[in-house]
Amino acid sequence: MDNTIILKKINFSFRKIIPWIIPIVIILFWQLIVSVGWVSATILPSPWDVLKDGAELTVSGELPKNMGISLYRATVGFVIGGSIGFVLGFINGLSKIARLAFDSTVQMLRNIPHLALIPLVILLMGIGEPAKIFLVAIGCMFPIYINTYHGIISVDQKIIEMGHAYGLKQSAMIRKIVFPAALPTILMGFRYALGVMWTTLIVAETISSSSGIGYMATNAEQFMDMKTIILCILIYALLGKLSDYIAKNFEIIFLEWRG
Amino acid sequence: MKKEILITIRGVNKSYVKHIVLREIDLDVYRHEFLAFVGKSGGGKSTLLRLIAGLEQPNAGKIKQGGHLINKINDQARMMFQEDRLLPWMSVQDNVTFASKKPDDQKEAKKLLSLVGLTEYANAFPTKLSGGQKQRLALARALFSHPDLLLLDEPLGALDALTRRNMQDLIMKICQQRKITTILVTHDINEAVRMANRIALIKDQLIKEIFDNPYRGIDTNEAKEKRALISDEILNKILN
Amino acid sequence: MTHTLRKTLLFILLFFWILITVYGWFQIREESNPTLKTVTIGFQAGDEFDIAKSRGKFATKMEKKGYKVKFKEFQNGAAMMQALATGNIDYARVGDTPPVSALAAGTKLTYVAAGGTKEKGSGIVVKKNSGINSMADLKGKRVAYTKGTSSQYMVLRALKTAGLGINDIKWVNLDQDAAAVAYSKNKVDAWANWDPTVAQVEITENSKLLVNGQQAGAVNRSFIVSPSKFAKNHQSLSKLVIKYGEQDMHWANTHHKQVIKLMTKELKLSKKVVTLEIERRTFGIYKMNDKYVKEEQEIADMFYQSGVLNKQATVAKHVDYLK
Ligand SMILES: Nc1ncnc2c1ncn2[C@@H]1O[C@H](COP(=O)(O)OP(=O)(O)OP(=O)(O)O)[C@@H](O)[C@H]1O
Ligand SMILES: [Mg+2]
Repeated sequence: MDNTIILKKINFSFRKIIPWIIPIVIILFWQLIVSVGWVSATILPSPWDVLKDGAELTVSGELPKNMGISLYRATVGFVIGGSIGFVLGFINGLSKIARLAFDSTVQMLRNIPHLALIPLVILLMGIGEPAKIFLVAIGCMFPIYINTYHGIISVDQKIIEMGHAYGLKQSAMIRKIVFPAALPTILMGFRYALGVMWTTLIVAETISSSSGIGYMATNAEQFMDMKTIILCILIYALLGKLSDYIAKNFEIIFLEWRG
Repeated sequence: MKKEILITIRGVNKSYVKHIVLREIDLDVYRHEFLAFVGKSGGGKSTLLRLIAGLEQPNAGKIKQGGHLINKINDQARMMFQEDRLLPWMSVQDNVTFASKKPDDQKEAKKLLSLVGLTEYANAFPTKLSGGQKQRLALARALFSHPDLLLLDEPLGALDALTRRNMQDLIMKICQQRKITTILVTHDINEAVRMANRIALIKDQLIKEIFDNPYRGIDTNEAKEKRALISDEILNKILN
Repeated sequence: MTHTLRKTLLFILLFFWILITVYGWFQIREESNPTLKTVTIGFQAGDEFDIAKSRGKFATKMEKKGYKVKFKEFQNGAAMMQALATGNIDYARVGDTPPVSALAAGTKLTYVAAGGTKEKGSGIVVKKNSGINSMADLKGKRVAYTKGTSSQYMVLRALKTAGLGINDIKWVNLDQDAAAVAYSKNKVDAWANWDPTVAQVEITENSKLLVNGQQAGAVNRSFIVSPSKFAKNHQSLSKLVIKYGEQDMHWANTHHKQVIKLMTKELKLSKKVVTLEIERRTFGIYKMNDKYVKEEQEIADMFYQSGVLNKQATVAKHVDYLK
């Protein structure tokens, strides 16, 4: 019996390691082929070079500054777009009239790839911060809208009927039944929107900017500075992973009841 | 003993888009009695119960409880459904109190949880409960606001035989102790005869017949035989 | 993981997220001074205005005259022309081809100044060991260029100067970064480009300039253009931009060491590459004259004749000589 417990423990810690095996192998292999010289370091700098580049840019203050600015744009865009999407989805989910008035319009707009809006956004809002934040907001709005809306209209009617039978009034019904029941779907939209936030931001930052990670990448691209390009890609991957991790933990905490 | 009438149903008709479900329903429900509705599936048992709960309104006729017309949700009545219809995002105890506005109700909730044997689960989420435990929680929830009337729409339908029997006993015990008028919808005639002192047969959109069951709750062999006879009679009436 | 631990971790992560966000906000917020008029100048990395911006004197001098200078960096000339067309920038420092394309597309712009050339630092590069030693050797070879940019004009001019026909080479239209990889992997034999990329390639890819802009007749001059309406209403401002800009250019021409240092940092290139570039380049910002107009008109004509543009622009109609 002791043995099985130990085996289980080993099994458990091994399970935690598994997801990291492939990335680590890739990085080691990558370092190897560059170090040995199979690939020219100007085309593919080694992970170590990329790391050094990152350290240099951090010391010079450039990386923290650009990261801060990117995070600012992403966050503000996400908050604005997310709130609008949430409120709109909520209202449309609850009210048939609002649904009739807004939903088909929103569905129509949703099908426009939001990056196709760039020329229009530049015309209307210029090339400053508002344009970038606007694009991110548009990108984040739809997933949250769709999920909030669907979460709410697909709440189990039987449970709603139970609430009625037990005398719940409108506001208590929303607080105690509709919102918690829709929350898993809403959080799914939240998680998806966080992903969209980063992809939109990369593009938004290539519309004339002189700051942000996206700028760092395009700027480096212009001068074939592969180290910085790869660094930026890694930073995006990391930020994406981080926001996904945050969203996942929100799910675990708020949806504890799913057991 | 003079029987006091709690609910009067007079001339009630109910139909859905030209499809008549109930017609000319006249029925008195006495205070503290245990009434059962039996009949074929789709016969309108649930519909009649939902009319009494105020979840639906009749097309014609009147339903009164204690002299008051039921024309909106009946807040003197509490219903248990075939599915538990618990709120999985609330703790077991919060599921009991969820519809209450009074903050000092936790004591009552604890009392009810111990009554249905769920004290140790008070802070757990309902996902942790078995099917029978879930229905016991739903029962505690129904009892919470001290309703005059308990409406049971096949709440035991999904349970295994043993659990089901235990639940029958628990419900009978509690309803007797708390002096709650109870209406049970069931397709299990043996269950109806075991639990109810009157059994109404709903057939051809009408209340065809009402059977008195004085042998309810008596454990002698003779009473058991009599109950079996009533069962047979009801079954024959349903099938004819 | 326990619940409290998870909550704490999440709280810390969100705290840092917000902290960095606020830091970014402070970074981005420009203390806009309402008494100053804002002038927005579009530039590209390593160009005349990049030097003026890095040196810092230009903005200070302009501020004394009541203008707040906002430099906006662009990744390429086409993007800048788009921003100019929509009135988002007041001055754009571009290469020689983007304004011609923009004019042909109907953009209302005015040339207000000309810059120096990169005639020694732009051209067609080939690998030293490629066996290509003259334009004639290029016959049948694959030449990388980017459509609509100076590189296309460069190749067209070089072919004409060498007496070759348009179809004597294989044209390979590639983006800057795609071309870099293609060239390095020998997927193309030659690459038309300009500094600092040319300098970079010469040093890291064992390459040489087969023909430079001076020899080809495509000098790759830079220009400063404005939206026409803006140019008409801000002639004195344009004169200031030229005056202070030229002062910085004079400094740049006489202080190569400092410029190299500044640009090495700004462009994140090796010092060797930047030195090669700066040493063969003359900086300047001048008023427009007939010679510059003629250079531009030649581009317009050649692009039209070879089908790159489907409308012919008349450059002289869009010039402010600022007399
Ligand atoms: N909301 C509704 N709309 C239309 N028809 C309905 C609706 N509710 C019930 N009915 C119909 O009314 C009839 C009676 O239904 P009811 O649920 O009362 O039957 P029941 O006796 O409870 O049957 P079961 O034992 O299967 O639960 C059925 O034919 C059903 O299809
Ligand atoms: Mg039913």
